[in-house]
Amino acid sequence: MNLILKKDQLNHLLDAWRKDYEVYAPQSLQNYTHFLPLQDGFELAFDKAHNTRIPPKALFLPTSEALLKFTKFGGYEKVPLETAPRIIFGIRPCDAHAMTMLDTVFEQERYTDPHWQARRDATVLVGLGCHVPCHIGFCTTVGSGPFNHAGLDAILTDLGEIFLVETLTEKGERLFTQLETASEEQSIQASKLQQDAAASMPIAFETEGLKEKLDQNFDSPYWEEVSRSCLGCGVCTFLCPTCFCFDIVDEAQRGERVRNWDTCMFRTYSLEASGHNPRPSRVERTRQRLNHKYSYWVDQINQIGCTGCGRCVRYCPVGLDIRAMLRKAHQLPSEVAHV
Amino acid sequence: MHDLDALKAEAKRLLIEGVVDMVIGFKAGDTPLHPQPAFFKTAEEVDQLVYNALCQNNLATYLTRFPKTLKIGMLVRGCENRSVNALVFEGQHPRESLYLIGVPCEGIIDWRKIVEQTGEEVVSVIEQSDNTVLVEAKSGYYTLEKDSLLHESCARCIHPNPVSADIVIGELLPEGDPALARKQVAEFAELSLQERHAWFRQEAERCIRCYACREACPMCYCEECFVDHICPRWTESGTTPAGMQGWHIVRAFHQTGRCTSCGACERACPMDIKMTYLTEKLNDDMRRKYNFEVGLDATTPPPFSTITLDDKSRFVV
Amino acid sequence: MSETPKLVLFQCQWCLFSPADQEWVDTQLPENIHLAKVPCTGRINPLYLLNAVQGGADGVMVSGCLPEQCHFKTGNIAARRQLEEFSDYLNHIGYEQDRIRFLWLDLQDRGIIQKELAAFEAQITALGPAHNLATRVNETAGGANA
Repeated sequence: MNLILKKDQLNHLLDAWRKDYEVYAPQSLQNYTHFLPLQDGFELAFDKAHNTRIPPKALFLPTSEALLKFTKFGGYEKVPLETAPRIIFGIRPCDAHAMTMLDTVFEQERYTDPHWQARRDATVLVGLGCHVPCHIGFCTTVGSGPFNHAGLDAILTDLGEIFLVETLTEKGERLFTQLETASEEQSIQASKLQQDAAASMPIAFETEGLKEKLDQNFDSPYWEEVSRSCLGCGVCTFLCPTCFCFDIVDEAQRGERVRNWDTCMFRTYSLEASGHNPRPSRVERTRQRLNHKYSYWVDQINQIGCTGCGRCVRYCPVGLDIRAMLRKAHQLPSEVAHV
Repeated sequence: MHDLDALKAEAKRLLIEGVVDMVIGFKAGDTPLHPQPAFFKTAEEVDQLVYNALCQNNLATYLTRFPKTLKIGMLVRGCENRSVNALVFEGQHPRESLYLIGVPCEGIIDWRKIVEQTGEEVVSVIEQSDNTVLVEAKSGYYTLEKDSLLHESCARCIHPNPVSADIVIGELLPEGDPALARKQVAEFAELSLQERHAWFRQEAERCIRCYACREACPMCYCEECFVDHICPRWTESGTTPAGMQGWHIVRAFHQTGRCTSCGACERACPMDIKMTYLTEKLNDDMRRKYNFEVGLDATTPPPFSTITLDDKSRFVV
Repeated sequence: MSETPKLVLFQCQWCLFSPADQEWVDTQLPENIHLAKVPCTGRINPLYLLNAVQGGADGVMVSGCLPEQCHFKTGNIAARRQLEEFSDYLNHIGYEQDRIRFLWLDLQDRGIIQKELAAFEAQITALGPAHNLATRVNETAGGANA
């Protein structure tokens, strides 16, 4: 259903939502923007940056969360699940699409992560499409797009004075019951804008045959070359909306079992208790990162495990650009002789 | 602005004559704000060399990755040269198998300061000879004063010149004013204890424990960092206040007598956290209390490596 | 302010030459003082102090031997620079310098430790509880970016 939201009505709508939900939207924090809960007198910060530094996955998988609290003498209590209703307003399609990929990790048939599920069930995702897509993002290259619907309960298209609102699920519909229906013209205008936006994005690298090239070149000297300047920090993985790895550790001094974000880029990630490390250097770890995103995810869910948000490119401290790395990877030979 | 041709010529010579096995420098980035560290092994590859004020990494951090037997050439600015000295002192690479191409440095641009003025979508950045920077961004063209874009560590740099390079390419620059280096520490010390604490707490709480600061720092090369220890559990590994604060407190403290004020840590941080106010306090203390400046040579031991009965201090006897 | 301060004492095992003094510390130390004995103050990694501070210590005392009297010759001197700088540094970010006290005892001292501890406690009581860096106490996981 297509509805119209006048821009000068937006804050009023957000305030109405705040009565029943905790509403998160990008707000200014230091030099960047961050999904923070709206408080009285809030100021939205969509103009400050195209997207938040930290992806909204942090609202479902916090950087750190206590899972259990325990005492020295064996007693423990679970930390209650978070079920307070929330709306995330202004999530970009790349980030929402990534959420559906993370669902395949945290909500599997055999086991579902109760913390993840509780938060997901309690949250409505209202997206803001990118009517002027960013330069560095490459969502259309990897099967997503500036107005992609995956993961969203509703999506807004900026038409100047107004937003066109498309409700995509029941959860989304419930939020917009007071709005007028969009006219045919407005719907067509929005549709054209969406197509133009997607079309305006250059293809960053060839994805056809990319997975095969990566698989065939596992032992290629290319990985040594591409990983040379990599610092082995966690910026790309922590800022990535599809990365989900975590480490569980017992903080004995405070009596909590805590789950923290972890990254395959750290040496300790794959370090085994015996001292053996199957990924002993940055070569193996950088190779792992690219392979996981662009080959192994494809094996798992038949989609590239990246939605092209561009954060890894923007914030890598040494300027590594995954798009360039993949372009070069695609030029590697099809068959590599194994030495 | 640097004499790129001369730098290339020297780098090529080193490789052709076998003086070194590899030259570490920079090459063009795939995005306009970030030239990338580069590792040239042939004279031909040196053609890719790029060297400008956007080259924001301390290259000395790569030194500890390579075997000590490898002969390495490196382009070093003031702080990088001093970091190399500190690493040589700590036995991380023999000086004899290093060839330092020294480059006097007018400062590194903090890309954040460009983006602050032009918005995120930057198309190109060109340094001009009149100390301005021409930026083409989606939002228009901008001519910015380079001095206003410098990273704060560079704006207060005391030693822009390489101190122990094998060759210096470029005109030596006047030494910076030590009072300028002190200014940040002195101003911070003027704040009340609670104000200082509030600042510290506010900066630390954005930390996501990505360790970009650690990896960017040339002096953080421990195979096992203190945060990796379970027993004893020095610091929590998550984003609890104890963990984040402990991380910042101790990482900076481990740099005492080793930090060259390069600022690479702050430039690497994805959450724009300030941390040089911690290391600069320690650097300042080393100067005032022990008359020690990091990295001016590769032989003077830092204060924590020396012991003397003569220390004056506030002890209760 | 009436709350009893929580203090931590890092005591070098050699610095109390008198058996009476050592016994006092071992058996009669007031309850609000947590004892951590170390083989030498040189063993004290500044991170031990940090652990105490983050754990809620309102004051930390380090007691060791005078410079020429170290059982391990120079252990205590090695400690001095680092520990003093560390306490200076903690002051920089919000933990008052006066909350960390170093006590260097002469082998001939008798009954000093009790007096110094009592004086230290009075001083800390006057300063009040240390909230600033006591972050391991009652703060659950989840930072600003959670």
